[in-house]
Amino acid sequence: MGLLTILKKMKQKEREMRLLMLGLDNAGKTTILKKFNGEDVSTISPTLGFNIKTLEHRGFKLNIWDVGGQKSLRSYWRNYFESTDGLVWVVDSADRLRLEDCRQELSALLLEERLAGATLLVFANKQDLPGALSKEAIREALALDEIKSHHWCIIGCSAVTGENLLTGVDWLLDDIAARIFTAD
Amino acid sequence: MDEALEVGDKLDTGADKVQERLQKRHQARIEDVERRKEAKESQSVAEEKGEYFYSAFNKERAAVEELLSGCSGADRATMTHRLEEATDRIGQLQKFLNDSVLFLTQYDLRQAQAALQKLQSTLAEMREDALPKKKFAFKVRTKAADKASVTPAPNPDADTPAAAGGTKRDGATASEQYGFSNMSDVLVTRTAEEIQKQDVLLTHLTNCKVRLLGSPSTLHLKHIDSCEILCGPVSSSVFIDHCRNSTLAFPCQQLRTHHTTDTQVYLHVTSRAIIEDCRGVSFAPFSWSYPSLEEDFSVSGLDKNRNNWNQVDDFNWLAAGTPSPNWMVIPEADRKTNWDTEN
Repeated sequence: MGLLTILKKMKQKEREMRLLMLGLDNAGKTTILKKFNGEDVSTISPTLGFNIKTLEHRGFKLNIWDVGGQKSLRSYWRNYFESTDGLVWVVDSADRLRLEDCRQELSALLLEERLAGATLLVFANKQDLPGALSKEAIREALALDEIKSHHWCIIGCSAVTGENLLTGVDWLLDDIAARIFTAD
Repeated sequence: MDEALEVGDKLDTGADKVQERLQKRHQARIEDVERRKEAKESQSVAEEKGEYFYSAFNKERAAVEELLSGCSGADRATMTHRLEEATDRIGQLQKFLNDSVLFLTQYDLRQAQAALQKLQSTLAEMREDALPKKKFAFKVRTKAADKASVTPAPNPDADTPAAAGGTKRDGATASEQYGFSNMSDVLVTRTAEEIQKQDVLLTHLTNCKVRLLGSPSTLHLKHIDSCEILCGPVSSSVFIDHCRNSTLAFPCQQLRTHHTTDTQVYLHVTSRAIIEDCRGVSFAPFSWSYPSLEEDFSVSGLDKNRNNWNQVDDFNWLAAGTPSPNWMVIPEADRKTNWDTEN
């Protein structure tokens, strides 16, 4: 192994990504973050502001920003857009009454110039609830098929049981890695 | 002649032998080279070679170029389809390039990147030419947003029992979920069998008394007016929107309260309660009880010994130090202690 190869390998190890997690309040953003990080989820309070977690996954360094979804906080979302590689949009699949709200907020985000390069992962969360809509129904309700501006994918998951969280994040990493980690 | 022949034979066989030896040596040398080559190759896979990359990359690039050039003149549907396919394939090509970064030389890398960039821009141009719909979509969307921002305006009316118009839409979308809506002046009791582990939704109730004797996994209350709603331990969150002049009681993990006025909440909350766009909401510790409450507590997994009922965050009041004017603690003397007098 030549010196150059060693240097390149080291550089590859420093690969860093910035993920922004948004969604309406009560969607389960913080619970997803904590569950993914292996923390206790039973003591989570409604997010008054934001949480940041830095974690290593598959050799990537992930900076995950979880910003509160209350109505009064949504106007601050844009403060977090800059240099976002991946946008994780979390949906409460059992909250039928606010799906329209959810669609509008998402489509407004996708018009944001500063998020133009970001990959979109939609988590249809709370699949453990008996009244939850399937990910197909959510896909339709949010009109995801009309999105041509971003790479996107929808995954049904449950933050409480941890089901499919890894699948979703792995997809997101693959897609981002394919885009941004070209040579210098 | 004979002798000569014999000598010739001898010579022949001598030459043969030499040739044979030479052949053998040559063979051995080839084998040796082969072996070394193999040893080298076992360390570097065929795919990790410049030539392999070069040919595979160019082949795919040519294919995409052809796909793009075949686009002009096609009808809209095939066009969209082809453009999408091209986008996908360019993405894959980019990934291939990224994966190959480690073993490519700088020059190859630059070349490949330039080629990809060219493809990308061609694609972008074609898309712009073929589907100049973008601005259109933008207008449609803002229109939809405008419409929606108008709808909340008549919503305050929906709080009054007379406004059944707004009721219908919500009721229809909620039909598959467990719960009930559009009722007035009734007493409703649900048992554990019906609500255990369910996500329960109650909407448009006026002047009702509701008893939920069990442990649902979540509880949503929307458009509630002058009701008394008592519920067993909710294992995750309770979500309240547009509620007024009511009395509520439940244990839960989180409470989120929106657009609620003049309402009393007898609360057991293991993390936090929040209010947003609320006025005159008051809190007291959960004090309602029913026979299987203890059991339901253990079903819900809530900690009975941790109750943060008086730590309420107001999202419209972020000034530290001064308490929010939008909520208060119910003075002990005024708290309800007898829940079942009218049953």
